[in-house]
Amino acid sequence: MKINAKDVASGLLLILVAAAGLWLNQDHTLGSARRMGPGYMPMLVFWIQMGLGAIVLGIGLFNGPDPLDRWAWRELTLILASLCVFALLLERGGLFLSIAATVAVAALADRTHRPLGVLGLIIFLIALCWFVFIRELDIRVSIWPTFF
Amino acid sequence: MELLVTNLAHGFGVALTLENLMFALLGAFIGTAIGVLPGIGPVATISLLLPITFGMSATTAIIMLAGIYYGAQYGGSTTAILLNLPGEVSSVVTTLEGYKMARNGRAGAALTISAVGSFFAGTFATILVAASGPVLTQVALSFGPADYFSLMMLGLIISAVLAQGSVIKSIGMVVLGVALGLVGTDVQTGQQRFTFGVPEMSDGIGFVPVAMGMFGIAEIILNLERPESRSVLTTKVGSLFLTRAETKRAIAPVLRGTLIGSALGILPGGGASLSAFGSYMLERKVSRFKHEFGSGAIEGVAGPEAANNAAAQTSFIPLLTLGIPSNAVMALMVGALIIQGIQPGPRMVEAQPDLFWGLICSMWIGNLMLLVINLPMIGMWVKLLEVPYRHMYPSILIFCAIGVYSLNNNVFDVYLTVAFGLFGYLCSKLRMEPAPMLIGFVLGPMMEEHLRRAMLLSRGDPAVFIERPISATLLAIGAIALGAMLLPNLRHKKEEALSG
Repeated sequence: MKINAKDVASGLLLILVAAAGLWLNQDHTLGSARRMGPGYMPMLVFWIQMGLGAIVLGIGLFNGPDPLDRWAWRELTLILASLCVFALLLERGGLFLSIAATVAVAALADRTHRPLGVLGLIIFLIALCWFVFIRELDIRVSIWPTFF
Repeated sequence: MELLVTNLAHGFGVALTLENLMFALLGAFIGTAIGVLPGIGPVATISLLLPITFGMSATTAIIMLAGIYYGAQYGGSTTAILLNLPGEVSSVVTTLEGYKMARNGRAGAALTISAVGSFFAGTFATILVAASGPVLTQVALSFGPADYFSLMMLGLIISAVLAQGSVIKSIGMVVLGVALGLVGTDVQTGQQRFTFGVPEMSDGIGFVPVAMGMFGIAEIILNLERPESRSVLTTKVGSLFLTRAETKRAIAPVLRGTLIGSALGILPGGGASLSAFGSYMLERKVSRFKHEFGSGAIEGVAGPEAANNAAAQTSFIPLLTLGIPSNAVMALMVGALIIQGIQPGPRMVEAQPDLFWGLICSMWIGNLMLLVINLPMIGMWVKLLEVPYRHMYPSILIFCAIGVYSLNNNVFDVYLTVAFGLFGYLCSKLRMEPAPMLIGFVLGPMMEEHLRRAMLLSRGDPAVFIERPISATLLAIGAIALGAMLLPNLRHKKEEALSG
């Protein structure tokens, strides 16, 4: 048996999401085919999805071998973390501080960055975002920290 | 015919206002820039810029966003020819002959024929959109809910069939997208579905966080894990003028490419990259200079470049006439229209004549602008390629973050983007295509509405979908398309075509 690990994992993913969806869908009234309730369409969609997941899984057991790819955990974590930092800081810390922190965290994901270059990038982006988002578009967000 | 002229005159009146001209130019400019730069595509850029369009009128917003999309087709070829790197997916084919031409010292000629060919194709395709729009709209107005449902079903099937990789997985992604679209308040009963009690989810999951996460953020991580392979530019652009022999050889491929692109662009999921490859295959078959293919045949640049631009224009047809997006970019356009309070669909031509005809005329003007932006200013775009990716990605991240936040002034959307970034990365590692998912996500809620309405009208009898002739035909086409992909021969052809 030549297992296509990518397909098997994809199939499992589809099945799991569908199962979770069907379980959550128990709260919604189904209604009838004529007068569909809020739960009717989800029921159809998730059963179809589960069927497709099963087919993908089944085919995946034979059409390999295709092992799973390696994940770039470092880049993945740092980029996603940098966005979380932005979301965490924005409302209390203001726009400028969150830009600085986000760029600093994101910069760690590429090892060729140098501290001075990152600093320059931060200053450039703060100036650019101030111009585009504050001066021109006037989005409602504080620019300086309001911790105190 | 006379009506068409009146309508086009009206359209030019709209497109030629200073504001619309400025934003068409801005869109074309941004489009060229992101087309030139590998690692950022039109989907990410358009979702990035959506929040900026809120303050504009709907027409201006769509004109600018459209400019980004077709502008990227022009810009992508520059990188392909000069650096042997596709700036966009649709210009993969251009690297085959274009870069070889550059190595032979004919980079300027390759750039010229790709820009001029694209312009010709864009003009033709724009006329096609203008001529077919009202006709198709008339047809669409006779559609009942069942027909609409089947049409969307067909759109979803074809977008899955033509997507890269396994068809069955792509259908899985479409269904997953439809499932995601279920989140939020049920329109008919007001019941909350799958919101986990989170108030921010009661309006459903916003498609900007989904698109930005899956196309913008995931793409950044994927680019970072590959070592930077951008080679230093060594080729000289040289003279931009074509020789007489080159011109003669390029004319027929441009014409054929335009036709192929116009036809394939209308298909959901087809779009620019498929038509470019189709055109290349055709030219390699019919050319009298077969032996030159692989070492810089001008036909191999002229045809595909015309094809991808024609496809970029005609992919607006299903959106403008039926309200159905044919690819991920068009799905974003639907979003942009809905945010502006316009429901895309066959009534748009009559209800929003400014938007429909203004957009068409502006597409032609935009193509003209792109000719100027690309050829004389080529030096500037080459300079842009010297910006290293390590400076680009933090900027993209910041713009994503602020853009998503400013949608609703809510950090929840930023976290949602993080979640979809992770999911997009997972999908790409499992070879699950994000584009069909986005189309399913956009079409899902509309499908549910039409399904419920159709079933109510038929008193719960599902036979309505095969009893109505339009609906039955559409479903039959879908079944044939699906069946065709089960034939191993065709499947291999498709894989060959899409892997470039």
